[in-house]
Amino acid sequence: MHISLDWIAQYVDLSDLSPQTIAHRLTMATAEVEGVETLVRSLDGVRIGQVVSIEPLDDQLTFVSVACGTEQFTTVCGAPNVREGMKSAFAPAGVTIAGGQTITERQVGGKTSQGILCSSEELGMGGGHFGILDLPASLESGAALADLLPSSDTLLEIDNKSLTHRPDLWGHYGVAREVAAIFERPLRPLQLVDVTQYNDLPAYPLTLDDPENCPCYCCIEMTGVAALPSPLALQCRLHALGQRTFNILVDLTNYIMLELGQPMHAFDASRLQAVRVAPFGTTGQFTTLDGQVRHMVPEDLIIWNEREPIALAGIMGGLNSEVSERTTGLLLESANFKDARIRRTATRLGIHTDASQRFEKQQPPANTKTATERFLHLLLESGLHPQIRSRFTAQGTLKDQTRYLDIPTDFFDRRIGNPIAQDRMVSILTSLGFEASITNNTLSVGIPPFRSEKDISLPVDILEEVTRLQGYDNLEPKMPNFSVERVVLNDHLRTQHKARRILAQAHGFSEIHNYSWFDETWLKTLGYEPEATLEMANPSAEHNVRLQTTLLTNIFAVVKKNTALRDHFRIFELGRIYLPAGGQDRIEKNVLAGASCQHERLGSLEAHFRQIKGALEALAEQLSLGTLAFVPATTTTVPWHTPGGYVDITLQDTVVGQLGFLSDPLLAKIAPTAQVVWFELDFDRFEGPIFPATSYAPTSRYPGSWFDFSVVASAQAGFAELVSTLDEFSHALLKKREFMALYQGRGLAEGTASYTFRYWIESQDSTLTREQIEAFQQEYITFLQSKGLRLR
Amino acid sequence: MQEIRTQLSEDLTAATTSQDIEAVRVRYLGRKGAITLLRKNADFSAMSADEKKRFGQQFNELKRFAEQQIAAAQARQTSTTLAPPSIDMTLPGLNNHLGHLHPISLVQLELEEIFQSLGFMILDGYHVETDFYNFESLNIPRDHPARDMQDTYWLKNGLLLRTHTSANQVRALEHYGAPVRAVFPGRCFRNEAIDPSHENTFYQLEGLMVDREISVANLIAVMRTVLTAVFHREVTVRLRPGYFPFVEPGFELDIQCLICAGEGCSTCKKSGWIELLPCGLVHPRVLEFGQVDPDRYSGFAFGLGLTRLAMMKYNIPDIRLLNSGDLRFCEQFPAAV
Repeated sequence: MHISLDWIAQYVDLSDLSPQTIAHRLTMATAEVEGVETLVRSLDGVRIGQVVSIEPLDDQLTFVSVACGTEQFTTVCGAPNVREGMKSAFAPAGVTIAGGQTITERQVGGKTSQGILCSSEELGMGGGHFGILDLPASLESGAALADLLPSSDTLLEIDNKSLTHRPDLWGHYGVAREVAAIFERPLRPLQLVDVTQYNDLPAYPLTLDDPENCPCYCCIEMTGVAALPSPLALQCRLHALGQRTFNILVDLTNYIMLELGQPMHAFDASRLQAVRVAPFGTTGQFTTLDGQVRHMVPEDLIIWNEREPIALAGIMGGLNSEVSERTTGLLLESANFKDARIRRTATRLGIHTDASQRFEKQQPPANTKTATERFLHLLLESGLHPQIRSRFTAQGTLKDQTRYLDIPTDFFDRRIGNPIAQDRMVSILTSLGFEASITNNTLSVGIPPFRSEKDISLPVDILEEVTRLQGYDNLEPKMPNFSVERVVLNDHLRTQHKARRILAQAHGFSEIHNYSWFDETWLKTLGYEPEATLEMANPSAEHNVRLQTTLLTNIFAVVKKNTALRDHFRIFELGRIYLPAGGQDRIEKNVLAGASCQHERLGSLEAHFRQIKGALEALAEQLSLGTLAFVPATTTTVPWHTPGGYVDITLQDTVVGQLGFLSDPLLAKIAPTAQVVWFELDFDRFEGPIFPATSYAPTSRYPGSWFDFSVVASAQAGFAELVSTLDEFSHALLKKREFMALYQGRGLAEGTASYTFRYWIESQDSTLTREQIEAFQQEYITFLQSKGLRLR
Repeated sequence: MQEIRTQLSEDLTAATTSQDIEAVRVRYLGRKGAITLLRKNADFSAMSADEKKRFGQQFNELKRFAEQQIAAAQARQTSTTLAPPSIDMTLPGLNNHLGHLHPISLVQLELEEIFQSLGFMILDGYHVETDFYNFESLNIPRDHPARDMQDTYWLKNGLLLRTHTSANQVRALEHYGAPVRAVFPGRCFRNEAIDPSHENTFYQLEGLMVDREISVANLIAVMRTVLTAVFHREVTVRLRPGYFPFVEPGFELDIQCLICAGEGCSTCKKSGWIELLPCGLVHPRVLEFGQVDPDRYSGFAFGLGLTRLAMMKYNIPDIRLLNSGDLRFCEQFPAAV
């Protein structure tokens, strides 16, 4: 939102204050000022001109004769709103307008154009482009604009988000009150017309059917008005804030909205017989004054003229009741609508007006009366003399009474953590328009009706008012006092971090982050259709609807992306999967998944697979989980689970994940010339003790020995079968067996392989003797023979 | 004995090869060596107990001296005559095993340690949350304008993807009651258009401290301590008003720009300050939702943007890199914190 300092200066003396100082102090005490802009008006040489005659040239252009005092000019004008007798701003040749263009005399369509009639934008006044300025007839023809308007203004841009809870700051007077309090300067009162003087007049026929969504509806009827151009100064302010101007009746409602935050609406009274505030009730259509046909639902709140809808409450008026140049009677609406109702309708229809934006912050109802009284004052000031036809008619609760709150003064010291002087509390609150007094260490606060109940109702709300003006900068930081207690460590997270470190520090994996949802396009490419998933109602893209139930599909996408960049790499992600569990129940699991990719020329797939398998074994060991088992799996539920291409990973006979490698056709879609080994583990099943029960085993005082035996066995049968046979061999001296190497090829019979194992033997009681060693070797060879195996 | 000592030194100086040194060793320490014989030939029966003792000490000293001198001579001999194998020690070191941690993990790990050192628990939370914990219990009822600020991903079953880690506040209060000190790091989601500075998936770290008599002054002191640890240097902070429905009063905490020390530069957009984290005193209604009596307890809460912090710390110019999976990005970060 923009705030004009010229406008603020009407209520507070800003002399000696630079815009930067004001912006900084507002930021520190009230709301963030995001920018300070200077608006420079190009007024030099521009004069008030009156349109004397108009001669159409073609569909768009007219040849206009303009009088500026005693001088006469001609101009070719393209404005749609030019009309005979109107007063506007005329820039004769030689004048430089906004944007730096200097007007010259020129010929257009055979006519001499000696200058231009100006729009507000052409004069650097701001505002939306809507034809030339339409100024009051009372302005003296030929007068210099530079004498009538300030040559510049400063606009503060305030972050709307920081005003969410402050409906009072959606108008200049509220901001002026803050500035006055911050700089400890007086705030000039608003000039108002007391409406109680009309209490003897009849009430306007008004029915309020939906007090929940319209806590308060007020209106007043008057005649003897006309939709004339607004005074120049008023137009100037509206333009500076980007508003279009129409006529005094409509412009004043906008002016007051920008001044007090209270939106108003001007109805042509002659179109109305009686007003009713009620929901739309059915579905149907309504045409708003911007000419758009809106589709209504039963809950939408409507202002009715008897049975005819005339305005979309709090958002926009209707085309059928708007003020026009023929208007002589005015029904002025000043109402209060429920934030939620306005918000829902405005959001559904996608209309966010200045009015709806303010109602969504829940304006205090008391503002409806103040706004009406301000309207009447400004109308009179503009030279109009309306006859008031109804009393100020209000339905609902105005809530124009002061609310009181008693707070012990030590509450402030304790919550702020620094002592604050009692008279300072009182002076701050008073400067913000609160009543405040202290007796017996109790602060009695009167909350003014212009502050919203939502914003101010609890002691902490008063605390904020006092502290922000006292200045957060002035607070002395203090560490809290509390007893030392042991922090309960999160074993859960510590295990996750440990796993991350093991994979990155010992096994060359790089950690990646992926999104939490599937990519439907990629799933189709992979030929994967997930089972039950959680689905988003408003995904960011059509192909990102379902939450992931495996991390691997997104990991495969990352593999594909990186194959062009690296010939070998390892990646992992420790992320979440999301599973529906009926209704609003869901299960979130921590999952550890990864992939290792290497170009096929860099090594055998078997060795590659064994490296990743080894990494997982080491991980389980480091996490003190015990030994993982890898069980060949045969079912195919997902495309990367190819029989013979993956194993189930089990821990104490429970399946905790899978490890496998990709093969065609899937491999061809992801990394055609590479090997891809993948794994996915249910990490919640992977939690071992944080402080594992590692226990030192004494080593023998006597040196042991080791022997390498190369055993020739069937390659088809596989390693696991050979090992289960070798497991049958036991010997008192045998300490451990280690697999060293595999050999196939020259010197071995077809279909056989040589497996080299290292056997460690050792005695706790003595140094091994030659006899003992030879006996061991002999026993082992005999064992092998008994199993039909032989040494290479 | 002194004679033997002097003679040994002279002999060793004269010995030039390892054979010479070995010969010296045999001459003195061998079975018939001068020192060995010294003891063998000693007549202990003629000595008093004191004399025996003194002889023993002198003998041992001499023997040790001889051993040391001979060993030293051998070592000198070895080092001057044996050349080491020739390798090119300028070749690069081999390292096949180091991977990389994600920058978010690195920052998270560091922050968790800092907060633990200050007595905070680290808690995990759901990504898929209920309206109650993400909004309602944080004083953001339906139709509250604050819901606009956080474009929410809703699920078809009425749940949502949490828009902030604040969703853990009331869960923590319900579970641990007061007093409580905890931080909750984690992934958050907002339905935003993605550009270099906006992501729909990002990380926050929410913190909560509830106890007797917790004040704004405590909040400032704790934040200053934490940030000094985060940035590894003294940090100047300032508070200014900020609006968040679940705190009252609410603040935006700025730190003095670390690049220009408050002078004004391009990083801080000439202001000298960088907006870092929203915080405030926990709103009494939030405490009530968490079954904590606001008359007996007060507290503060704050929200650190982990993603933002990682970007600041590692000079990451584009937020989209974080979820890109691009190894050229990932490989720039260390494997160890």
